[in-house]
Amino acid sequence: MALFPLTSNFEGDFVLQLVAVDSENTMDEVAAAAAVHSVGRRVRARPGHIMRVRRQGGADFLPRTMRVSESGLKPTETVEIIWEAPKH
Amino acid sequence: MALLNRMDWYDLARTTNWTPTYVTEDELFPPLMSGAFGLPQNAWEKYDEPYKQTYPEYVKVQRDKDAGAYSVKAALERSRIFENADPGWKSVMKAHYGAIARGEYAAASAEARMMRFSKAPGMRNMSTLGCLDEIRHGQMQLYFPHEHVSKDRQMDWAFKAYDTNEWGMIAARHFFDDIMMTRDAISVSIMLTFSFETGFTNMQFLGLAADAAEAGDHTFANLISSIQTDESRHAQIGGPALKVLIENGQKAEAQKRVDIAVWGAWKLFSVLTGPIMDYYTPLEHRKQSFKEFMEEWIVAQFERALTDMGLDLPWYWDIFLKDIAETHHGMHMGSYFWRPTVWWNPAAGITPDERAWLEEKYPGWNDTWGQCWDVIIDNVVDGNMAMAYPETLPYVCNMCQLPILGTPGKGWNVKDYPLEYNGRLYHFGSEVDRWCFEQEPERYAGHLSIVDRFLAGMIQPMDLGGALAYMNIAPGECGDDAHNYAWAEVYRALRAEKKAS
Repeated sequence: MALFPLTSNFEGDFVLQLVAVDSENTMDEVAAAAAVHSVGRRVRARPGHIMRVRRQGGADFLPRTMRVSESGLKPTETVEIIWEAPKH
Repeated sequence: MALLNRMDWYDLARTTNWTPTYVTEDELFPPLMSGAFGLPQNAWEKYDEPYKQTYPEYVKVQRDKDAGAYSVKAALERSRIFENADPGWKSVMKAHYGAIARGEYAAASAEARMMRFSKAPGMRNMSTLGCLDEIRHGQMQLYFPHEHVSKDRQMDWAFKAYDTNEWGMIAARHFFDDIMMTRDAISVSIMLTFSFETGFTNMQFLGLAADAAEAGDHTFANLISSIQTDESRHAQIGGPALKVLIENGQKAEAQKRVDIAVWGAWKLFSVLTGPIMDYYTPLEHRKQSFKEFMEEWIVAQFERALTDMGLDLPWYWDIFLKDIAETHHGMHMGSYFWRPTVWWNPAAGITPDERAWLEEKYPGWNDTWGQCWDVIIDNVVDGNMAMAYPETLPYVCNMCQLPILGTPGKGWNVKDYPLEYNGRLYHFGSEVDRWCFEQEPERYAGHLSIVDRFLAGMIQPMDLGGALAYMNIAPGECGDDAHNYAWAEVYRALRAEKKAS
């Protein structure tokens, strides 16, 4: 349990933002924490979509239940929060 | 006794290089301060300034200019321009004075360094006059806004801004310290006078004077014109230095200094000048877009200045050309959204008519920047103001100290350019910012950005109140919407119209 700063690059937004999470937060919780500062402020919500997290430049999303402490992310590293369309 | 013509004695009087005997040349001109690039004094004696002026001539011209500017100020003091001006224009004045006035004294120091330590006698003469110019600019730009301080506390930032840790001021200081306060005489001549003044401020002051006249603020127009005529003279100091360096095999080092300073100047322009031209200036007074202004006045004339000199265009020129249509929109949105953290009141500039103008000047604006503004507009119109303000810090670039941003909406291309150096992770807003840092990492590595300071616990409590206290923004000075959200009425009316139909 430790405060862990990350840099959020939220899909559709215009600026990187500082987001404080906990090292034991999951990627879903990281996405939710990042969304607080973008969705409804400058980015419209996309009902039904899931917000996924990936390293900047990474091809794959990090698993939704993966914890920050397991991800190898460095403090202040930039993560991209990407809208994932619902699977039918 | 008949007086000689100036040109009959100028060269002789100017050529006052000594041949040191009691000290070595390096003791007289310490390399760290003179930055002579290892060239001997006689190489620098070939420096030939294009704008020759003597001290008596200088004093006469300056006295006339000061008399003109101060008498216009006195004559118009009762014209109530401040009370009657558009709030967007007042914000232009506040942003300008805060960012520039005290920086003029730093520029005077930089000129003084060239005056004392340059091995080129012609440069020493020109920068003696340049130093006096900058003291004059500082005095005028503190004295002129002072009459407005009693009417509006934000005007006090003309004096106060440089002593604060306000984020924009950290950015301005970081750039000015880099090119003016921490460089040798020759580098100052290249980075301050050639890159910044010839390339940017000279042209910008011309535009600003025209805008001021258009806004009816003839005092400010006169002040700025008076300064610009000085700039156009002392901005010539760097050109002949570049010529000496190129002739003596130092082109690569000279080019590097130009490239670093031009990029830093551009970033500062993107946050100060871009929003002013495309968003703050009332629509009916806009002569051209910021992009058009940059292309006509900065890009074209700078390309010419560089190639005339025998330099290359900076390696990032294509990135720069693309940037002039994009970056300032983000700087505007950033300074608007984080408006409590600036010392002026940003004008939103996003009524339907203004958006149509933006779309015409920047095709695709509605699908990119407009997408974010749509959300902001809805929040303001709905009275959901909590969502129209920030709750965290934007991440800022470890080179330019400005927010790291890109194009939002359907053209989303926001990207970080990170670099790990000596175990610390640095973040940059562009490939060019990162490149500037990499040219001399030890120069910049120890500097803490506003976000680094926050993470280091220097801002307490760790919230907006703590940040405002750290930035020394007192109650009554915080920025807010310049027009008190009057623009939202247009959207309310549109909604009502839609509902009725």
